[in-house]
Amino acid sequence: MKRRVGGLETEFGLVCVRADGSRALEPEAAARELFRPVVAMGRSSNVFLRNAARLYLDVGSHPEYATAECDDWWELVAQDRAGERIFADLTTQANERLAADGQDARIHLLKNNVDSAGNAFGSHENYLVDRRGEFTRLPRFLLPFLVTRQIVTGAGGVAAPADDEDGAQFVFSRRSDHMWEAVSSATTRTRPIINTRDEPHGDPTRFRRLHVIVGDSTMSEVSTYLRFATTDLVLRAIESGRTLPELALHDDISTIRAVARDLTGREPIALANGGTTSAVEVQQRWLDATATLVEDGDRRDREVLETWQKAIDAVATGDRSWAATHLDWAIKERLFGQVTERRGVGLGDSSIERLDLAYHDIDPGQSVFQALQRRELAPSQLSEQRIEAARETAPRTTRAHLRGQVVTAAQEHGVDHVVDWTTFRLTRPGAMPVQVLDPFATSLPTVDALLEEIRSLGGARSAGGTGVPGAGAQQPPAV
Amino acid sequence: MSQQSLNGPGTGGEDEQNEVAATGGQTFASAQGADDLLDEIDAVLESNAETFVRSFVQKGGQ
Repeated sequence: MKRRVGGLETEFGLVCVRADGSRALEPEAAARELFRPVVAMGRSSNVFLRNAARLYLDVGSHPEYATAECDDWWELVAQDRAGERIFADLTTQANERLAADGQDARIHLLKNNVDSAGNAFGSHENYLVDRRGEFTRLPRFLLPFLVTRQIVTGAGGVAAPADDEDGAQFVFSRRSDHMWEAVSSATTRTRPIINTRDEPHGDPTRFRRLHVIVGDSTMSEVSTYLRFATTDLVLRAIESGRTLPELALHDDISTIRAVARDLTGREPIALANGGTTSAVEVQQRWLDATATLVEDGDRRDREVLETWQKAIDAVATGDRSWAATHLDWAIKERLFGQVTERRGVGLGDSSIERLDLAYHDIDPGQSVFQALQRRELAPSQLSEQRIEAARETAPRTTRAHLRGQVVTAAQEHGVDHVVDWTTFRLTRPGAMPVQVLDPFATSLPTVDALLEEIRSLGGARSAGGTGVPGAGAQQPPAV
Repeated sequence: MSQQSLNGPGTGGEDEQNEVAATGGQTFASAQGADDLLDEIDAVLESNAETFVRSFVQKGGQ
């Protein structure tokens, strides 16, 4: 697919503490407080927004934001950042209500992947792939790429060394330790790298969904961009029918853990056929394979290749000067080094774990990542205007444009409606659902008619004042 | 497209970073920024780091 639709689902960690750091509210109660304005407006803790994204409360009291369908990876990053801001605003409002109520309680929303007891939650990437593309063939090529992708896109962190349960070392990705299978239908108990859930949210005879759940939640816009842009290129190479790097690994799961701990990217990795490779080599081979697909004049793809190469070089050469201000793992590697030195503590100290949480805190007043951004020690690739616009405006080049128009019109005209990824319907007797099974559709007569009906039903009235831009009720979800 | 270029000549910030990459050095400005940052981080870490970390326990998601 030259054009591919993708989306990112982010589950946030939630903690509500007193000033002394002790727990003030249980996660369930804190989530209820957080979602109060959402429920007030959408009569549900599960809504689609004007930007066509879905905002809801997932299993385990994890607030979740799923971006709308994007076919441009910078647009996806903008939509993801917009979701952070929407939740940051909800957090601020909840904390103001708690303070007004005289409670010593402050909610923190953390865009990370693991709590202090080792419970994991996810950042799930979705890619539309062609139904005819022989899905069973994908993992053989995709897995070596995904196992080693963490040296580029990992969020970084601290974990125990392979041979010392009590020790602590810096790793590319902590999530590697929470992966138990290469490919399966599970999401929690035996979490796989690729999940086989087949919900294309589109015409099932044409499309299926590739659900990649190995990724860390990334704060850096460059890291998030590279997750999607490089994976899309690799998928295109696989779909092209060309000769591909044969790098099937002997053991995906032991390798993903070893790669996380090898900051040189050079240690040997056992291949299924008996030889060895390395994390740097796997990434470089895939970059080279995809480069042959990219036309010289294609600025968008050239940018992917150039940025990907810089990221690989940061590991291969050990020169972190670019990576340390652009990629999450390298930003953290430098920061954790500075803080351990300054405080005279080791990486296993609880202050470093607290620092890691603060890096992923989305509250502008608490976020270490944003403090780094203000000093140009972390990237701000997208303009402020673009991120703010993405809070209210859906991507214009996919079906999200239609969903966004329906939600926006229904809210502006005060017309009750239900919406999901493929279907829009008014909640009144006799209303017929409008189904859109083509994720690339941006204009349809049936949707135009629905918009006309919405306008004729409602007197214009302004929305707003709830703090949740564009909350609209939704049918019970298939999570 | 409104994002800054990652690679081409872009904003001042990018150019400065390229300078750093080219010389392998550390600019005075960002060193100062780092000290100031570490002061800011100290404020987060001093008070209740260990208790906060222990409080953050949730059921798994996904």
